[in-house]
Amino acid sequence: MTLFSNRIELKGDSNPIVFIHGTGMDHTVWTMFTRHYLRHNRDVLSVDLPGHGKSEGPLLNDIESFSAAIFNFLEQKKITTFSVVGHSMGSLIALEMASKYPERVNALAMIGTAFPMSVSEDLLKLAKENNPSAIDILTFMGYSMNARIGSNKNPGIWMTESTRRLMQKNKEGVIYNDLYACSNFTKGLEKAKLVKAKVLMILGENDYLTPKHRAKDLIESFVNPTVKEIENSGHTLMMENPNQVLDYLNEII
Amino acid sequence: MKKPKDLKPDTLSLHAGQRPDKEHGARATPIYQTSSFVFKDSETAAGIFNAERTGHVYSRITNPTNAVLEERIAALEGGVGAIATASGQAALHLAILNILDSGQHIVASNCLYGGSHNLLEYTLPRFGIKTTFVDFRDHSAVQKSFTEDTRLVFGETLGNPGLNVMNIQKISEIAHENGVPLLVDSTFTTPHLIKPFEHGADLIFHSATKFLSGHGVVIGGLLVDSGSFEWDQSNKFPQLTEPYKGFHDMIFTEEFGPAAYINRARKEGARDFGACMSPHTAFLILQGIETLGLRMDRHVQSTREIVHYLNNHDAVISVCYPELEDHPDHFLAKELFPKGCGAVFTFEIQGGREAGKVFIDNLNIFSHLANVGDSKSLVIHPASTTHHRMNADALGKAGISEGTIRLSVGLEDVEDLKEDLSEAFRAASKLK
Repeated sequence: MTLFSNRIELKGDSNPIVFIHGTGMDHTVWTMFTRHYLRHNRDVLSVDLPGHGKSEGPLLNDIESFSAAIFNFLEQKKITTFSVVGHSMGSLIALEMASKYPERVNALAMIGTAFPMSVSEDLLKLAKENNPSAIDILTFMGYSMNARIGSNKNPGIWMTESTRRLMQKNKEGVIYNDLYACSNFTKGLEKAKLVKAKVLMILGENDYLTPKHRAKDLIESFVNPTVKEIENSGHTLMMENPNQVLDYLNEII
Repeated sequence: MKKPKDLKPDTLSLHAGQRPDKEHGARATPIYQTSSFVFKDSETAAGIFNAERTGHVYSRITNPTNAVLEERIAALEGGVGAIATASGQAALHLAILNILDSGQHIVASNCLYGGSHNLLEYTLPRFGIKTTFVDFRDHSAVQKSFTEDTRLVFGETLGNPGLNVMNIQKISEIAHENGVPLLVDSTFTTPHLIKPFEHGADLIFHSATKFLSGHGVVIGGLLVDSGSFEWDQSNKFPQLTEPYKGFHDMIFTEEFGPAAYINRARKEGARDFGACMSPHTAFLILQGIETLGLRMDRHVQSTREIVHYLNNHDAVISVCYPELEDHPDHFLAKELFPKGCGAVFTFEIQGGREAGKVFIDNLNIFSHLANVGDSKSLVIHPASTTHHRMNADALGKAGISEGTIRLSVGLEDVEDLKEDLSEAFRAASKLK
């Protein structure tokens, strides 16, 4: 399976930064970050997970399979070591990768994360039925009240509708499988203990999908993680506060 | 599971895009009347220029006051983003040139604002872009108007001045079957009366000069992107799907996904065409939008009364308003515009051009000028003014005759408006 990623000619086995998006998203959520690191001569692989965005492939419904798909992609690119940044579901995939082969991951950044990342039965049911309300709920809960009113730092872009539209472009079943994968990821705390990489966790003060208090056990399971909280922000931190997220990432990458 | 409580339009009209100013606590949107913005440091400057950090550089491209307006209209229309322009015409020009090159073609309604008609009929052909004008009520004719070079379909929610109601869903289906987007001018209706994206439109523009600002004090335009059109489903839009030399080989669909179109409009259109809006203008339009819902309801209510009055007046041959049962689009209008068909309409006076002239010259509250959507009531004779460059055939197709008079009903007491019209009719009747 070949995954889609940003256009790049890798400089060999160059310790790239691998960006992994969350539920129903694709690589475009990382555009600003990708551009930043490319300008600074870092190799970046911002992937579309199987079945998402421009990537072909079957719909996967467990974090381990997503992780395996990315490892497979990295094998194709002959990449041995890397840093990995994940948002929401992507943060769980990043955790899985950093615990599966701890020696291969230099830095792990988890954005908008929690463990367990359980999803309500009602939302799973709506998503399974491909009911548009599932996307409406994810979009609504994915932003702080502040962001729902707007005042986007990215001029002229209406954040909530941008996210809704991105999710609406998914094939049927994608959202449900993603949510199912989040909800059924187990042993996150045990896996956190296996991680050898530098760890950064970026949390939103007003995250309604993965509330910051639900990251507490995860924080305690890592060895000396750096934890940053962005005030007045919700779950979709790369949209709500991209500059702040970038500044924090730069501290470990 | 509870349905999310998204903010309602009247709340968005007041708040979308703006939080109280953190520096000084200003509740109103501050006017950032500055050409340029100081960079924190060289690295930040490089980051903003490279589209990897947010921030403002130069007010031709972005400005914090304009950004509030852009977000607000995007929120009200349900789009992914918007861009403010110097005028409605600038918005239309940008909407077209963002994706069309020389040699390409537009399918447009034959019932358009005169300025839009001029741009398409006379000016764009100088740059190799041609337009076929067609009756949007005739869906078969619309279908037959496409060529292999067609890249855009364009019409107005309510045609100017005949108030032809566009069947947005049907026209968008035809456009999409042909692999091109539908651009809609929603100036007459505003998001208070219809949200064209919900009916299948892909792009919307407004002359914000009209009902959005609402007080006849500014010139401005807004272009909104739904983010719905699949630009990369064909090879018709290389401007968005292939590397753009003007921005380090950026591929807009690859980097911005649903917001590809609006990003190109800013990164090329605002930068190179340069038809930007003044921040002070943006502020005034924001003031107008704050009361959009209240004003539009009142505009519609008064218009209904005036339409009824005119429809029963002996000196009136006909009234053209879609809420009237004899309007060809009456049933479609009921479906699309449950809150009303706006406040601009035409009627035909007995006595033709001469009677019309006397009638207009004897109005005192209605102002004779070339605008619509003011809080003050307005009147004009389209055949000799806004549409005077159209020949008789084109005028006929647009539903305009020598005796057609267009009214834009304002917010005055409607009894005073009726009295003003009565006095003017009395003066016109003396011609007999």
